[in-house]
Amino acid sequence: MTTKPIIEIDPYEKTWMRISLGLLVVFIIMVGVAGYALGFQLPASETRVNPQTVATDPNSPWSNPGLRELAPGKYEVYILAQIWLFNPREITVPVGSTVTFYVTSKDVQHGFKIQDTNINMQIIPGYVSTLTHVFDKPGEYPYICTEYCGSGHAAMFGKIIVEP
Amino acid sequence: MPKKQPEEPFEPKGTIVVMAIFVVTLIVLWGSVYYILISRGVTL
Amino acid sequence: MTIATANYDLTPQEKKFVGWHLILAISALSVGSLFGPLQAFEHAGWDLYPYLQPVFKSYYQGLTIHGVLNALVWTTAFITGFLTLTTIRGLQRSLRYPKLNYTGFWVMVVGVLVTAVPLLANNASVLYTFYPPMKADWLFYVGLTLVVIGSWIEGYGFYFTMAAWRKEHPGETYPFIALASSVTMAMWQIATLGVAIEILTLLLPWAWGMVGGIDIQLARTYFWFTGHPLVYFWLLPAYLSWYAMLPKQAGGKLFSDSMARLVFWLFLLTSVPVGFHHQYVDPGVPDSWKFIHSILTYSVAFPSMLTAFTVIAGLEYAGRKRGGKGLFGWIKALPWDDPSVVSQLLAGILFFFGGIGGITNASYNVNLVIHNTAWVPGHFHLTVSSAATLSFMGITYWLVPYLTGRKLWKPKWALIQAWMWFIGMLIFSNAMHVLGLLGAPRRTPLGEAPYVPAEWNGHLLRVGIGGAILFVAVYLYIFIIAKTAFGGEKASESEQVTIPVAEPLHASPIPAWMDTFKPWLIGAVLLVVIAYAPVLIDLITHAVGSPGFRVW
Repeated sequence: MTTKPIIEIDPYEKTWMRISLGLLVVFIIMVGVAGYALGFQLPASETRVNPQTVATDPNSPWSNPGLRELAPGKYEVYILAQIWLFNPREITVPVGSTVTFYVTSKDVQHGFKIQDTNINMQIIPGYVSTLTHVFDKPGEYPYICTEYCGSGHAAMFGKIIVEP
Repeated sequence: MPKKQPEEPFEPKGTIVVMAIFVVTLIVLWGSVYYILISRGVTL
Repeated sequence: MTIATANYDLTPQEKKFVGWHLILAISALSVGSLFGPLQAFEHAGWDLYPYLQPVFKSYYQGLTIHGVLNALVWTTAFITGFLTLTTIRGLQRSLRYPKLNYTGFWVMVVGVLVTAVPLLANNASVLYTFYPPMKADWLFYVGLTLVVIGSWIEGYGFYFTMAAWRKEHPGETYPFIALASSVTMAMWQIATLGVAIEILTLLLPWAWGMVGGIDIQLARTYFWFTGHPLVYFWLLPAYLSWYAMLPKQAGGKLFSDSMARLVFWLFLLTSVPVGFHHQYVDPGVPDSWKFIHSILTYSVAFPSMLTAFTVIAGLEYAGRKRGGKGLFGWIKALPWDDPSVVSQLLAGILFFFGGIGGITNASYNVNLVIHNTAWVPGHFHLTVSSAATLSFMGITYWLVPYLTGRKLWKPKWALIQAWMWFIGMLIFSNAMHVLGLLGAPRRTPLGEAPYVPAEWNGHLLRVGIGGAILFVAVYLYIFIIAKTAFGGEKASESEQVTIPVAEPLHASPIPAWMDTFKPWLIGAVLLVVIAYAPVLIDLITHAVGSPGFRVW
C-alpha cells in the first residue's frame, strides 16, 4: 500500500482529542498530588501471615486482637475478620486520636470500611491491610463488612466510639 | 470501501456543545467525589 | 472476487446460526433477570426470597445467578452471534470454516448447562467474581471455562475468515465492521488468559483436592486481569453498532472512518493492563503499581471519549440531513419513532454517566470513597446493563426481523420498552450511586443489615422502584422478541430489513500500520507483560496457602 503513514483527523475532532487528554492529565495530577504529597494513600502493606495460625499463634498480634496505645493520642488496632464478625466489635478512643488499623482474615475474604472516613480495605486471608485515620470529631463510626463473605455477611459490623 | 468521495461541508457544532456539557458534568461530579475524599482526611 | 454490494445477505444457514446465539442469550437473560428485581425489592424492604425457599435458597444464590447469566452468558452469547454477522457482512463472504464456529457455539452451550447445575443446586453461590477461598462445586469452574473456550473457538473462526478475505482482496483495507469484530475478539482472547490461568492453575486443582491451599491475592490478580477488559468486551460491540450502524439507521454517515479504526486499535492496546484499579484497596499489590494502572486506565478512557465525539457527530450529521436546525434541532430531528435507534440513543445517554463514574472509579485514591459500595453496581448497570444491554436490545429490534423475515411485533411497544428501561435505570442507578457515597456496601441484603441508618431508606425505596420498572421492561422486551420471532407477520419483499452499514463521511485512505494486527498485538502483549509481570512474579514466589470454605 502506498498511502500516507498518517491518518487524517477532522480539525474539530483534533481539538476534542486535546481537551479530553488535557482533562485526564489534570485529574491524574490531582490524585497523584493527593496521594504522594498530601498523604491520601491506599492500603498496600504487602505483609503476609499464615491465615490458618494467625488467630492462634501466640506471636501473632491477632491472637489477642484489640487496641494498643503507642503514645498519648496515638493508637494501633489489630482486628481479626472472620465469619461473620469483627474481633473486636467495639473500640473506644478519645477524640483527636490517630489510629492505625491492621486487619486480616482467618477464613474467607471480607471488606472493612469505616463510615465517614477514607478507611476502605479489602481483607484477604494471608495478607494484612493497613490504613490510618485521625478521629477529629466525637461520635460513633460503624465499620462494616463490604465484601460478600457468606450467609451472615449482612450482619457483620462493629463500631468505633470516639469520646469527647 | 469506496476509495475517495467528494467531502460534504459539515461542521459538528452541536456535537461540540454536547461535549462541552459532558466536560462540565464530568468536572462537577468527579470534583464532588474528590472533595469528599479530601474532606475526610489523610490515611497516612 | 465478488463485487461488494450494499445489501449483502447472509445465507439461511448463517442466519440460523446467528439466531441460535440469540436464543441462548435471551434464554439466559430471561432466567437471570428474575433475580435482579428480587435484589432491588429486598433493598426496598419487600423481601420475596423467603417465599422462594423451596427452590432458591438465598439472596446470594439469586445474586450469583443474576450476575452469571446476565453479565456473562447473555452478553457473551449475544456478542459472539452479533460479531459473526458483522464479520460475514463486513467481509461479504461466508465463514472460512463454519464447522469451527459451530463447534465453538456448542462448546459454549455445554458450558452454560454445566455451570447451571451447581448454580441451581446452591452449590456455587459465590457471586460472578467467584473469589476464593469460597469454594464452589468444581463443575461451576469447568462450565465457565467451557463458555470462555467456546468464545475463543468462535474467535479463531473469525480470524481464519479475515485471513482468507485478505488473500482474496490484496491491497484492500479490511471493512471496518469486520475489523472491529476481530479486534474485539483478539482483545478478549488476551484478556481471558487471566481467568483461564486462575481456573486451571489455582481453582480446579484446589477444588479437586490436589492442592491444599492457594494464594488469594494471586487469584484476585488473575481474575481482574480478565475482569476489567471484560467490560470492553461488552462495550466494543455496542461501539461498533454506534459507529457504523446507528448513523445509517438514523439516515447519516460514519463521521470519521479512520478515527473509528484508531479507537478499536487503541482498545486492543490498552484494555487489558488496567486490572489493578479493581484492586486499589487490596493489601498485596504494591502502591506504585496501583498508580501505574490508574494512568493506564485513564489511557483506556481516552478512546471512549473519542468515541463519544465521533458517534455524536455522526448523529448530528444525520439529524441535519433530516432537516434539524440550530445547535440542538438535529437531536429532535433524529428518528425518535424507531425503537432500534431510540434504544441505542438512550443507551448512549446513560453511558454519559457511566463514563463519568468509570473515570471516578479509576481515580486512584478517589476510589476509597466508593470502593465496594453500592456505587459500583450502580455504575456497572450503566455500562453492561445500559450501554451494552440496551444497545443489544436495540440491535435485536432490527436483527430479529432481519434473521426471521418477519416484521417487528408492535414497534410502539418496543419504544415504550426502551424508555422504561431508560427511566428504570436512571432511578435505580442514581439511587445506588447516592447510597454508595453514603457508605452503603454492595453485595449486601441491606433490607436486613442491622447498621442501615434511616437516611438511606428513601434511596433504598428508589432502588426498588427502579428495579420494578426494569423488571417490566426486560420481560416486555423478551415478549416482543418472542412474538416477532415466532408469531410475527411475514414481511413482504419490499419490507425486508437489510443490515444497516453506514458509509464514511470522511473516507481518507488508511495507512498500512492501521490495517494489520501484528504491531498492535505485539504492543498489547508487551504492555500486559510490563504492567503485570513484576507483581505476578512477586505473588507467585511469596504465595500463602488458603484452604477452601463453603459459607453460604
